[in-house]
Amino acid sequence: MAFNLTRRKFLQTASLAAAAVPLSKVVSATTGVTKAPLVAKGTNGDKTVVGGICEMCFWRCQLVGKVRDGRLMKLEGNPKSIDNGTAICARGNAGVQLLYDVDRLKYPMKNVGERGAPKWKRISWQEALDECGSKLKSTVDQYGAQGICVFPHGASAKYPMHYFERAVGTHNVSEASFFQCRGIRDTAYVATIGKAPGEKVDMPNTKVLFFIGDHLGENIHVSHIKAYIQGLQNGAKLIVADPRFSASAAKADIWVQIKPGTDTAYMLAIMNYLVKNNKYDKAFVENHTEGFEEFSAAISEWTLEKAAKECDITAEQIKEVAEMLAANAPNVAIHPGRHVSWHGNDFQRQRALACLTGILGAYYVKGGWVPAKGPKVGGVSWAKEDHGHKYNLNYNHEEDAKVYPYNPPGTPTELIRDCAISGKPYPIKSCVVWGQNPMQTIPGQEKMKDLFRAMDFIMCVDVMPTDVTMWADILLPESSYLERYDFIKTGTQWDLSKEHQQYISARMPLVPAMFERKDQIYITNEIAKRMGHEAKIPVKTIEEMVDQNLATAELSIEKLKAEDGIHIQPGKDPYGIPEDFMVRLFNEDIEDAGHPGAPTYKPVPQPPKGFARLLYGRAPVHTFNRSQNNVWLHNAMPDNPVWLNDQVAANLGLIDGDVVGFVNSDGVESRTTTTVKVTPGIRKDCVYMYHGYGSANPLLTIGVGAGVDDQSLITNLAIDPETGCNGMRNNFVKLIKDGKVLDIPA
Amino acid sequence: MQYGMIIDLERCVGCHACTIACRAEWEVPVPYQRNWVKRLGPTMTDDGMASTYYPGLCNHCDKPPCVDECPAEPVEMTFTDYKTGKTKTMEVAATWKDPFDGSVQVDKERCLGCGACADACPYGARYVNPDLADDNSEGKVDKCTYCKPRVEAGLTPACVQTCIADARIFGDLADPNSEVSQYVKKGAKGLEPKGGHLGTNSRYYGNKKDMGLLFADYTPKMADMGSVKRRAMMASMVKPAMRKAKDMGILGLAGVMLVKGLSDNEDSK
Repeated sequence: MAFNLTRRKFLQTASLAAAAVPLSKVVSATTGVTKAPLVAKGTNGDKTVVGGICEMCFWRCQLVGKVRDGRLMKLEGNPKSIDNGTAICARGNAGVQLLYDVDRLKYPMKNVGERGAPKWKRISWQEALDECGSKLKSTVDQYGAQGICVFPHGASAKYPMHYFERAVGTHNVSEASFFQCRGIRDTAYVATIGKAPGEKVDMPNTKVLFFIGDHLGENIHVSHIKAYIQGLQNGAKLIVADPRFSASAAKADIWVQIKPGTDTAYMLAIMNYLVKNNKYDKAFVENHTEGFEEFSAAISEWTLEKAAKECDITAEQIKEVAEMLAANAPNVAIHPGRHVSWHGNDFQRQRALACLTGILGAYYVKGGWVPAKGPKVGGVSWAKEDHGHKYNLNYNHEEDAKVYPYNPPGTPTELIRDCAISGKPYPIKSCVVWGQNPMQTIPGQEKMKDLFRAMDFIMCVDVMPTDVTMWADILLPESSYLERYDFIKTGTQWDLSKEHQQYISARMPLVPAMFERKDQIYITNEIAKRMGHEAKIPVKTIEEMVDQNLATAELSIEKLKAEDGIHIQPGKDPYGIPEDFMVRLFNEDIEDAGHPGAPTYKPVPQPPKGFARLLYGRAPVHTFNRSQNNVWLHNAMPDNPVWLNDQVAANLGLIDGDVVGFVNSDGVESRTTTTVKVTPGIRKDCVYMYHGYGSANPLLTIGVGAGVDDQSLITNLAIDPETGCNGMRNNFVKLIKDGKVLDIPA
Repeated sequence: MQYGMIIDLERCVGCHACTIACRAEWEVPVPYQRNWVKRLGPTMTDDGMASTYYPGLCNHCDKPPCVDECPAEPVEMTFTDYKTGKTKTMEVAATWKDPFDGSVQVDKERCLGCGACADACPYGARYVNPDLADDNSEGKVDKCTYCKPRVEAGLTPACVQTCIADARIFGDLADPNSEVSQYVKKGAKGLEPKGGHLGTNSRYYGNKKDMGLLFADYTPKMADMGSVKRRAMMASMVKPAMRKAKDMGILGLAGVMLVKGLSDNEDSK
């Protein structure tokens, strides 16, 4: 069945473009004999179009397109790139199939059925924009700007997000990239070193790579992988803490098969060992840290033995890791992670990573955490306006303080959802979803539906009919990253030991947008006009925005085109610590806000009897839930087999390939099934699957029902107390086989 | 000259960029493939817990079992060394081993689409593309060409160009100074089938644990050449008959089914 679907889809997709008439059907008129088929020509003779910036994921590699008779045949890395070079990943290569996906949104649509079970009617842009403008304006008139909530994601969502935040004036914006992903990392590092860390570890030049849950190889970002592999090739040791034998664990010198949720205890024991044994960087601590005394006192209870017990690993191994780090300090890369919203104790774990880097003296040194010095470009957008705290849900007016003091930008998701559903402290009545699929990025799908049910109006803008679009009243088709200008990508060469160079490149369309798809500037501005904000519109077109932003660097779209899409200029040496750089090992501001000022371990809930913890992560060929309908990527990994410990499987009588469903400890069952992957490479107390599968929208003819939607099983909404971000790994499941629920043995 | 490819498993991260770039470059339709990546493990081995990848493609064997089985009428073809301009004329069926670069190639114009060569390959490196069916065939066989047209235009193979970890290295195994030859000296090995030696020119390099896992899981058996030969023979007999029957407009449903049954590719089910 899956085969037939895929096959039909491929043919449909292929025939969308004129060049793809099935050749075998070309029959000679004179002889009636079919001419022998033509060999695929390859793309070498095709026209090269420069200026592409990938957005199959958010690393954003630089592309060129190979165009034949107006059809984009292939994407390649831009040979001029000093970032990804000629390389792009599977997703990048499969961008062609997103572009021509027959399931893509093509016209503005109005839902004439029910929310959640839509019937779509094609309408004109005029009608769609009038409807969006008047409904949103009516919400603002009746309930105030705070009556609108926004769920944005991606490059195209920034401009509309700024419009609603700045010009309209709502605080109620929740980006999944912050609240369900990396926001905790950023604010924890800001609270420790004053900067968001990115993934700026100097992997090519390090002696030891230290990963907590990072699974590079399954998590693919091209230049990051290049840096990682270069580090390993240069002889770096790799330490990977993960309950699962991940792609990185498979390349590791030391695999720490840690119990989920205990990573902070593990790092506290390493740090305590380093302090107690005088193996930390005393000069660095002296010159560049604050609060060492309080910090070392606070972590002193964490002996190797105590952590070994808590983390279910050996004291010897913790010591081995600590010794390896100490022996190679300061040239050690303590990776800050990326998706870190795990257990609701995550701010403290991220603080521990930042502090560990500090006591090893591993900031701004070769092989440590080193922020490359990139070029500056402009950031034209809607003008900032002060809208006060009155309607900020993350503000406690009685105490005159934030509810979640270290929240990332925007308002914590649960504050918005609770307010929208309860109507307290004020009504939220309109919802704008732009490029995000909150049904599968945010845990608690029923709660998300309750939010939608409370709305007077919902609009979605996307390229694909994702699950959330089923809840839209108005659904607008956006041009994809291959068909529009917008994002400006800047950076440096990925190996900091090489000649220092900077690059600037801007996204430019490789092919014109098809059907009635429009870019975000057009859509936002048209809505702004209808809401009475015409005078505040900062740019009239997307080209104007890009040109203004490039002008900061004395560049323009035309100049970039003349430079094959990428401007390269001399860079700066990133090594060398700024004199005033400080690591706040103990941060009294955090303590003043009512949270531990030194990194502190808080145990997480354990699986009830008969359940295993549900862990999830990335598939190398998919980005979250965005690519499962892509025919090439679907074919590469059509579903997400659940990793099950081999001894547990033997106890349950399960073998590789058995088809199973799931029920979680809240009684929620998975809508679909997947297969079992039996392996000794996962702990007994957890199961693992790739995130993002099992879409529910039947308009995704390939992705619908393929694999299991992990997010549907994440109903326990842990909240990280410092940041208000979700923790998503405190959910527990049993397997269902042939209708029978199987208890996971302890 | 003997083209060869090394896959460095110490570098490979199993990302599938190679397989998708190949699809785009050569319009390889789903679910078929010219190359593939399979994930192995995690599993317990004598050397500890292991997990690695099997990025597979045509091995462009020194003694390709596929070539001998092609039932298409042999014709004289003149080959040219694109570097020196030297030529050589040989009698070949619809698939052959290039006398200059050692790659194994297919002439789709003359391919009968019988799939005998695909069956003869122990690696599953060939498929019959039914989209390319014509009056002479139920499809055309397709496989990795080491991107011969790209290489002769001065480019690298599409999979090599896009490899994010520089894990794929292409070059001349006959040149002892080439990077691929250096890898062979370091121990890069081909997946030779049990009980056979084909002279594989796509080879793997990695640590003991990963190589052990790869060779344990994916050392193939030689194909059952008896059944391959039967299929080739049937194809050589039936295809012209079908062509004739179609021209006469008398081939009934049963006949079509017979022909289809004979040329069905079991690997593509």
